[in-house]
This record gives sequence, C-alpha cells and structure tokens, in this order.
Amino acid sequence: MSVIQILIYVAALVFLVTNITRFVRMASTPIHLRWELYPVAHDVKRYKYGGSFLEEADWYTKKLHKSKLGEMRVMLPEILLMKGVWEYNRSLWLWSFLFHIGLYLLSGLIIVLLLGGIIIGPNIFYGYDSLSIIGQIIYNLSYAMLIAGCAIGTIGTLGLIIKRMSDHEMSVSSTFGSFFNLYFIAAIFISGLVFFFSGNPVEKLITFYYSLITFQAMPNLGAAFAVHAVISGLFLLYLPFTHMTHFFMKYFTYHKVRWEDSPNVRGSKLEKRIQEQLSYPVSWSAPHIGADGKKNWADIATEEGENGKE
Amino acid sequence: MAKNRVKIEDISKPSEKLTHLDIDEMMPLPPPYDKIEEQPGWKKLSDDAIENLETSLDDTIAIGIPKPKNEEEEKELVEKFLRGLEKLLQKENNWTFLQPLLLSLEHCAKCQTCTKACPIYEASGKQDVYRPTFRSEVWRRIVHKYLKPGGKFFGRLSHGDIDLNWTTVARLMELSYRCTLCRRCAQTCPIGIDNGLITHELRKVFSQEMGIAPKEIHEKGSVLQLEVGSSTGMNAEVVKDNIDFIDEDMQDLTGIEVHTPWDKKGADLLLIHNAGEILAWPENPGAFAIILEKAGIDWTLSSDIAAYDGINYGLWYDDFQLGKVAIKHAEAAKNLGVNRIVVGECGHAHKALTVIADRVLTGDFNIPRVSAMTLLEEIVFSGKIKFDPSKNDFPVTLHDPCNMVRLMGIVEPQRRILRYLCPQFREMTPHGVNNYCCGGGSGFAIMSGHNFQDWRLAVSGRMKLKQIVEAFDDHPEPETNKYLCAPCSNCKGQLRDLFRYYGVREKSGIIYGGLVELIVNAMVDIKQPFINFDEMQ
Repeated sequence: MSVIQILIYVAALVFLVTNITRFVRMASTPIHLRWELYPVAHDVKRYKYGGSFLEEADWYTKKLHKSKLGEMRVMLPEILLMKGVWEYNRSLWLWSFLFHIGLYLLSGLIIVLLLGGIIIGPNIFYGYDSLSIIGQIIYNLSYAMLIAGCAIGTIGTLGLIIKRMSDHEMSVSSTFGSFFNLYFIAAIFISGLVFFFSGNPVEKLITFYYSLITFQAMPNLGAAFAVHAVISGLFLLYLPFTHMTHFFMKYFTYHKVRWEDSPNVRGSKLEKRIQEQLSYPVSWSAPHIGADGKKNWADIATEEGENGKE
Repeated sequence: MAKNRVKIEDISKPSEKLTHLDIDEMMPLPPPYDKIEEQPGWKKLSDDAIENLETSLDDTIAIGIPKPKNEEEEKELVEKFLRGLEKLLQKENNWTFLQPLLLSLEHCAKCQTCTKACPIYEASGKQDVYRPTFRSEVWRRIVHKYLKPGGKFFGRLSHGDIDLNWTTVARLMELSYRCTLCRRCAQTCPIGIDNGLITHELRKVFSQEMGIAPKEIHEKGSVLQLEVGSSTGMNAEVVKDNIDFIDEDMQDLTGIEVHTPWDKKGADLLLIHNAGEILAWPENPGAFAIILEKAGIDWTLSSDIAAYDGINYGLWYDDFQLGKVAIKHAEAAKNLGVNRIVVGECGHAHKALTVIADRVLTGDFNIPRVSAMTLLEEIVFSGKIKFDPSKNDFPVTLHDPCNMVRLMGIVEPQRRILRYLCPQFREMTPHGVNNYCCGGGSGFAIMSGHNFQDWRLAVSGRMKLKQIVEAFDDHPEPETNKYLCAPCSNCKGQLRDLFRYYGVREKSGIIYGGLVELIVNAMVDIKQPFINFDEMQ
C-alpha cells in the first residue's frame, strides 16, 4: 500500500470522525434562549415580508407549523447560488460563487468516483468502449466535473485572493490563516488542472478509487496525480479544524438559531429542558448577582432584594 | 470616508485615542441638514473626564470606566475579564446563549458582508473600529490566543495576533457600547454569524463578572426597577397618581370618561406600559385607555413592583437582571389571574418578555404574552369603534423598532392600521425587517453621560434621520405637518433628542409619536384633534 493511499484513508477517517464529533458536540449544547431573526423560512405564509406567528393576538392557542419545504426553498438558493452574498455583497459574489461551485464539483466528483470504482473498477483498463452505459456516463461525468471544478474553482479562488488583498475592509481583517486557506484551496484546484492535462485523468482516478475500495496496492499514476492527491488529502485532514466547517455548521446557524422560534409550552419537553438548565450552578463574580457556585439560575432570578441578597 | 485606518491589533497599543471622528468624513445628510457648519457636532470631553476615566477609544465615553490606580489593579481587571470570557464558554454559566456564541466564535469567513449593513459604520464614514466585525475579531483573537490549548502559537497564526492588556479591555468595554444590537449585520451574514450577539455577550462579561455597566441601564435602570418598581423612580403610589392625572386630561381633551383600572383580579389582560411613557408622553397611555375603554376590553394595570414598567434593560447587558425583571412581570400577571399580558408600545419590552423570557418563564409563570400591535389591530377592525380616516390626512411614515420587527416578526398589524387610518401613509426605505435602528437601541436612548448623547445623535442616529427626511421628500416644506409613527418608547426617546438636535420640527415640520395617538385622532367620537402639531415636538 502506498503512502498516498494511507494518507487518503487517514484523512478521510479524521475528516469524518472530527466533523461528526463537532456536529454532535454542537447538537448537544444546551437549549438557548430564543434569538431568532426574521424572516423565518418555515413560516411560508409570512416569509415574504418577514412576519411571524406573533402577529396573531391568539398565537398561543394555535399549533406552530414549521414547513420543511419552506426552509429548503431558502436554503437551496443560499447553498447553491450564494444568495446572501448576491443580495448583500455583490462585488464578492462572482468570486465566492465560482469558488464554491468549484468545491461542490470536486466534492461531487468524489461520490461519482466512488461509484466509478465500484461499477467500472478494473474494466477501465479495457478502454472506454468496453464500458457499460452507466460506466460511460460515470466516465464522462468525472471528466467534466474534474475539468470544470478545477477551472471554475481556480478562477474563483484567485478572484477571492485578489479581492481579499485589494478590498480595505477584507484586507484589514484578514489573517495569515485567511490567506493560507485560500492558497491551500488554490493549490488543490491548480494541481487538479495540471493533473487533468497530464493525460488519462479519469482512468487514473478510477484506478485509484478502485484500489482504495478494494484495499489493493495502487500502480504508479504519475507525479501530477501524486501532487494533487497529497494536497487534497492534507486539506481533508486540515479542514475539520477550521472555520470552513461552516458547510455543515450552517445547519445550526440557520435552523437552530436564526429560525428557531419554537415557543415554550407548559408541560412540554422543551419546558423540562429549560427547568433542568435553570438548575445549573452559577459562578459569575459580580456582586449584584450574588452567585456562590452553589446557587442556581432559578435561585438567583427569584431572590428578593438588592444584589440578589435578602 | 474616515482617513485614519485602524488595524485590529492596534486596540492593544496605548495611545491617546484609537480613532477620531470628524463630521466632514461622515455620511452626508439630505437637505436641509447637509451643511456641515450647521450641524451641531459634539462637545469635547471635560479635562476631568480625560484625566480620571478611560477615554482612549474615540471621542466619547458611554460607560465612564475609572482609570485603574496602578499596574496591579490593571492586571487584576484583565484577569477578571479573562475569567469572564471563560465563563461565557461554559454551559453552566452561559447556557442561555452558548450555542449561538460558539457558532459565531468558530465560523466567520471574514467576508465583511455584514459591514455594509451596519448603520453606525456607514454613518460614521466607515470608521474601522465601528465595523461590526472589529470587536468580534478582537474577542475571537483573545479567546483563541489566551483560552485555547496551544493558542499562543496556533491561535495567533490562524486567527491573528493580539495582546491582552488593560488598554485592550478598557477599549473593548467602551466599544461594546458603540453597537445598538440591532442585528442588521447578522441578518445579512451568509453563514449566520452574529456580531450583535458577540457585543451582547461581551457586555455580559463586563456586567456579570466585572460588575461594570453604564449606570443609566444598571444602577439607575434595572436595579432601580427591582427596588422601587420603575427605572423612572416612580413607586406604585406615584404612578397611580400620574395615571389619574392622565385620565383627567384625556377626559378634558376628548370628552370621553376614562378610569384606568388598577390591580383588577381576573381581568382578561394585564397591560404593561414602558413607564417612561407616563412621564414623557402621557398621551400614549392616555390613548391606550381611551381605545380599550371604547372597545369594551376587560383590562388592568398592575401596581406590583416592576409590573407597571415594561422595561427590561437586562436584555442589553445582563441575563440575571433580565430574568429577575421578567419573573416580576409574570408574577404580577399570575397574582391577578389574567389570561394574557399585553405589552404596550415598547420594542425591547416586547422582545424581552415575549421572546427572550419565553425560555425563562416556566410552569405558572408561563402566561401568554402578546403585542399591543395585534390587540390594536383586532380592535380597529372589529367595528367597535368608528373611525374617520380623513382626520389623519397628513403625511405619515412608520419607524420599525428593531426588537419588535426584525427580531420578533411583528410587521404587518401596525401597517394594516396605518394603511386604513392614514390616507397619506408611506414607507421608509428600507423598512420592515430591513429597517435601520433609530440609533438609540440597546440602551443608548437613555444614555447621555458626558458627551455620549452627541455621539448617538451625530453618529448612531444619523442613518435614521436621513431615512425620515427622505420619506417625506415630496413635502420638504416645514409648513406641511408630517407625522413619524414610532410605536416604541425607547425609539421615541432617541427621536425626541434627534429632532431637537437637528431642529427637525422647525426645518421639516415633522413630529413623532406613537400608533395609539393616530388611532384616537381618527376616532369619530373625538371632537378636537388628539394630535396637536403645534404642541408636539
């Protein structure tokens, strides 16, 4: 087994385990106070103008309906088209859009190539014409996704680098890390382009994925492939420890904060969780709180007198 | 556009001022407010303030932090601050906002989309220190460098360097009071990062750990409310006397007999006003009483401690003060056995009691809370009161209080009333959930120490003034009476000061007031105009 294969196995494992751990940890933080921002997408009736169920004088007598379809209608253009950037930061949009499309195409390519590894496998050695219809579709799709993803991503990433350098607001808040991430991603796209033009890229990729799936040794696929694979593997290792995990954390920022408007109903599970959290001990030090590390939130909030003392 | 440029790490470097404000660098105002020489500007800080207080952020001070006596005291304060930041990230001490805070700590892409949404940053002429991400970045860098394992190396590398010293803490403390928490920035963030929340949480560290907050919102605000009953200083007897006077005035003005009920057990609803209305804009609670009486609503006020004042300043700086006041409000409703609480025309009171306290009030304390906007809409369209909209035939526009609209989604009820009762109603641009803050949000409207009032009128209220003037640009002449409807007591406080500062009544003929005043003014039964353009400012 080659170093590249080991790197990819380790990177994939770290990527999955770290991201799942981060997701689970975020999901298990306590229920927070409501902090929604309107418009809220699951209120389909009022989303257009930003209204809420609180516009009804008897809202507390009605069951809140949350439309998953309504949320999808907002999230899909946000994820696929960068709608928020389009609306509020137009000069950044083109570069951000191309950058993300490049990443989506390469991410999608991983799935297509996994399928290719399973469906086509060693048949790739017998030539394109020997492939089944599905095999040919996978082959062509891989070819298109690789060149499109790398080309579009390269343009987007370079655009973002230039924008980050030239825009005052972006440049003053940029850190070494901000540029490092962009250069890292640019390296993936550019090395992908070089690999593409090095000849027979799809054959090499399917061969590689087949070897990964079957845990077999891989043949020498050339220097261009090795460079691209190593950079991509290192990026997979690095990504879970950066802000770029926003690609899945957006679930929380939108669904669990911005759109989280569930009212607290007496006797509900939500109420039980709140009561549990109100019993957490408090150790803030300011005198007016009167905390001692033993008193809990409920004790302090219901105490009479100045500074929380009798 | 601001000439002096400030980098994030500059916050730690001692200097007389981190930034300086010039009116001629600020966002231009529309005529007749466009002449820089006619703009009031702001007073300089006194020598005494400069000598004794921390004044090194910009040209004003919101808190008035005493300078530490020696290095030891400085170190102690810095250490306290760091301990507070730690507690902010613990579930026991900050379950209330931990999840949204962690999300905002880790995932900002530094794209600066939020900067364009901030009225303070834009109005100031794009001062770097007022950029929504500036204070957030300072906080992130401190957390990553000083609180994360290996932060001295990795934190600095990936998040940028910063030195944590007393200068950093003192400036950050002041800087947490240069944002109105309108959360317009958060609304535009493609990822969902919330710089408003970060500001809010920083204020909590200063209050909950270090015991430092502007005295107008803590000592003279939430503490006074919990002690006496209201931040106005009115106890139950005084407030009842004042309401009696208002009832009499209303009867004299409208001929309608009004008796505001107090502590009526079993009433359908408990109405909670912002007590500031009673003293500063008595026509507002008076108009409420007329409408509720005429509509035959079974209502009451409560004279319990804190329950006759809907304010809850804890919303802006301290979770515990917030919880204590919310519980007092709910307790009063529980004691009276009402079916629901109706929050009067006060945006932050709306949000504090209806939305934020929703996950504080459990069991018997969880009494339904509804907005006065929805109740008023029901009444206006119920047919119980006859209206003549031609009585309101003057240009009217609506200010959307951030707390009520962007942060609660109560957008249309007040508009449906205005479209029905005000033939010349027009919207501001932008409006609804995209509105701009009045500039007095998060406590600013009641903060006027040193020269802070000048700052909030020249900088944080600048965008609102522009919007208001432009909403009436078809009638710029002062001879045409125009009405700005602002259904929020806090916003009205800011607008009162803003209008006086720029001479808006005199130069543009605009007055401001609430929604209920327009409703009563349109009532067929009222013989004299309820809104008097000559008397109102």
